[in-house]
Amino acid sequence: MCFKNLPIEFDAQGKPFLRAGVANPYGPSSASPQGAPTQLTAERIEDLLKRNGYIKELDFDPVTRVAGALAFHTVADFKGRKVLEARSMATLFRGYEVIMVGRDPRDAIFITSRACGVCGGVHSVTSAMAIEMAIGCVPPPLGILIRNIALALEFLYDHPLHLHLLAGPDYSAAMVGPTNPSLLERARSAEAPHAEIHGFRTLGELMEDLNPLSGKLYLEALHMTRVAREAYVLICGKYPHPQTIVPGGMSSTITLTVMNEMFTRLAQFFDYSKKLAAIWDDLTEFFYEANPAYKQVGARRANLIDTGIFDHHEAYDATYTGAAAWGDRRWATPGVVMDGQLVTTDLHALNIGVEEFVEHSYYEEWSGDGQRQHFPADPVGNPLSPYHPWNKVTKPRPQGQNWKEKYTWDTAPRWDRQAMEAGAYARLWNTAVARKLPANPFIESTGTSLKIRLPKGALPELELEWKVPAVWNAFERNRARAYCTGFTALVALNNWLAAMDRLKKGDTRTSTPFEIPKRGEQRGVGFWGAGRGYLTHHLTLDRGAVSNYQIITPSTWNASPSDRWRQPGPYEEAVLNTPLLEETDDPAKFKGIDILRAIRSFDPCMPCTTHIHSDAGVITREVNTCACGVDDEGG
Amino acid sequence: MRVIVAGIGYRNLRDHSIGIAVIDRLLERAWPGDVVVEDLSYNPIAVVQRLEDEPPEQRFTRAVVVGAVERGNRAPGSVVTYLWDGVLPSDEEIQVAVTEAVTGVIALDNTLVVARHFGGLPDEVVVIEVEPGVQEFGEDFSAPVAKALDQVCELAVTMATDAKAVAGLPRCPLGGDLVASVGLSRG
Repeated sequence: MCFKNLPIEFDAQGKPFLRAGVANPYGPSSASPQGAPTQLTAERIEDLLKRNGYIKELDFDPVTRVAGALAFHTVADFKGRKVLEARSMATLFRGYEVIMVGRDPRDAIFITSRACGVCGGVHSVTSAMAIEMAIGCVPPPLGILIRNIALALEFLYDHPLHLHLLAGPDYSAAMVGPTNPSLLERARSAEAPHAEIHGFRTLGELMEDLNPLSGKLYLEALHMTRVAREAYVLICGKYPHPQTIVPGGMSSTITLTVMNEMFTRLAQFFDYSKKLAAIWDDLTEFFYEANPAYKQVGARRANLIDTGIFDHHEAYDATYTGAAAWGDRRWATPGVVMDGQLVTTDLHALNIGVEEFVEHSYYEEWSGDGQRQHFPADPVGNPLSPYHPWNKVTKPRPQGQNWKEKYTWDTAPRWDRQAMEAGAYARLWNTAVARKLPANPFIESTGTSLKIRLPKGALPELELEWKVPAVWNAFERNRARAYCTGFTALVALNNWLAAMDRLKKGDTRTSTPFEIPKRGEQRGVGFWGAGRGYLTHHLTLDRGAVSNYQIITPSTWNASPSDRWRQPGPYEEAVLNTPLLEETDDPAKFKGIDILRAIRSFDPCMPCTTHIHSDAGVITREVNTCACGVDDEGG
Repeated sequence: MRVIVAGIGYRNLRDHSIGIAVIDRLLERAWPGDVVVEDLSYNPIAVVQRLEDEPPEQRFTRAVVVGAVERGNRAPGSVVTYLWDGVLPSDEEIQVAVTEAVTGVIALDNTLVVARHFGGLPDEVVVIEVEPGVQEFGEDFSAPVAKALDQVCELAVTMATDAKAVAGLPRCPLGGDLVASVGLSRG
């Protein structure tokens, strides 16, 4: 029984059905998110601002020169050192869902890739999978294996980039010094527990090399992105927008030479993963020990969602009917974690629990007022909400910003009406707890942890163990992402070995021929993932053309606005729980570092600039959120 | 002396694609052995790495970089040519440039700033900027930019092969100086 809010129950065979006697099962009052936090009302905030001089607005104002932008509005209590209101704003509409309507579905592979400049390939594959499901086309085993390796390589580009180019500087000497000088002082004499792995004698030395532009860790991360990119283009032609993704597999020619060239690059991530885990372990434990209040930075309920990724080459059949079965055999297990507990790993349950709301988004409602719900059920007869992506219609409606009404281009996806968080950590958490990993010599799911056995390189063989954390916050997100690098490298290694076996047996087929049906209506969904987590493309075809296309990205979840029940989105909730720990009592000198750590820990990836507007003026800070996510459409 | 003539831009973005269009045209010409013509419209960090891959004795000594840049203070189709003075913005702005680079932004200014910061560029960088008139999906140029295409191609050839012409260029910050720059035409 994984649903607590939606009136969905399961029969003895595990088949979901709508509870009898509920007149409007998906109505706002029929199911509300029990136990969820709520934002203060706009009236209450206005009153607090009026009556207390120490309560001030801090507006994170975007620069829109880049394709897509995130802005953030907060109201902070400088006396209580807490945030009272947080509003996440996606300020650009990209419109992939509108662009796709009426097109040949094969266009989606190339068009939706452009949603993201970091990991466009994940969109290509997700759209290919949606098409495969719609038209009934199954890739051959080698095609599945190579697709998995390609995905892993994208993550091996993304994780170092985020950890040491985007999030890392928040923990660097250059940032910690001005915001928390006593902390940096303490770091200079704090011995690093894992010095033998990462090479830094003290935390202070480590923080120096996290410095942007000049720090060794910053520069090393830039180099590692090259290594991953080189390996990726061997099988995908180019990066970040691949040329070899097709419905039914891959169009690349895979030879032993290609495989060997890829391996020489992949192997460089074994040692690098050891270093990343050691660095983020040491940083996290140092901050916790220096001030336990850091455990509250970016803290929120551990409500996580992930579709799972990396299909088993002998299990994936591209059908919706088989999704629960092939999902279970993925190298990263699908799942929903609610308040720290894994409640389902079933892709059908995961899919039918998803709804998107637009009360605070610049869109018009598409359900209600007698409009017909296009699909009352999924392809196997499970009930679907009128707010489900297969039923959603994108109706953009630009208008002025109003906290009480609409303030973002992002929608509010919810699962069982709860605000869920997507990320690399969700796949780690599900996989660690579910114990469904395919048999292999390198990764072990224990039920409470994930053991990651990294082979010997320049560093000796090392077993990392990522344990399900007791607290969920900005530090744990980054730590999990660091461990996820090793996990990803070993998933790639497993798939590389399996691919080599296929090649040795003379099986070089990477794709299956297909035809787009010119009659009737078909639908499909790609359940896949970006570096920063959950990614779905829901597709409907009508007489060979796309009649509806809906993308939900990790940043759609994470940057979502508050919903009709005043439940904040994940960024908003994390910032609301963040204490202001900077060593200044002067709001004019306030840099907002803890708020920015909270937001960046989600690995938002759209480049934008956030200005923190205080009474003293505008302070420029850089925030990244995914171009493919914070707007409605776009990883 | 080795020269790289590079175009920067996005394809299918009308006027903003002129850097690539110039390279497409120039690739059809015969070039001396010491001139390389290339489309560098990709992640600027990868551009740095590509430039650094040249063996030390064969590093480029001059880069001629062509692209559309919307400065807003000149007429669409204006062409501005100058030697970049190589002065970099603040570290904070360079960080933003790197962030944009690794997350997919392709722009002439950004590429030059990132490439200069990480030591990928030769000392001599000739910039040929075209002021775009439109930014929208499509393969054709607006009338003023279409009119400038031939001139930009010829300018690129001159700057790649004529050291005297390069020596005569004004040294300017990014964006050039409307008075001092050469090749300025109004569309």
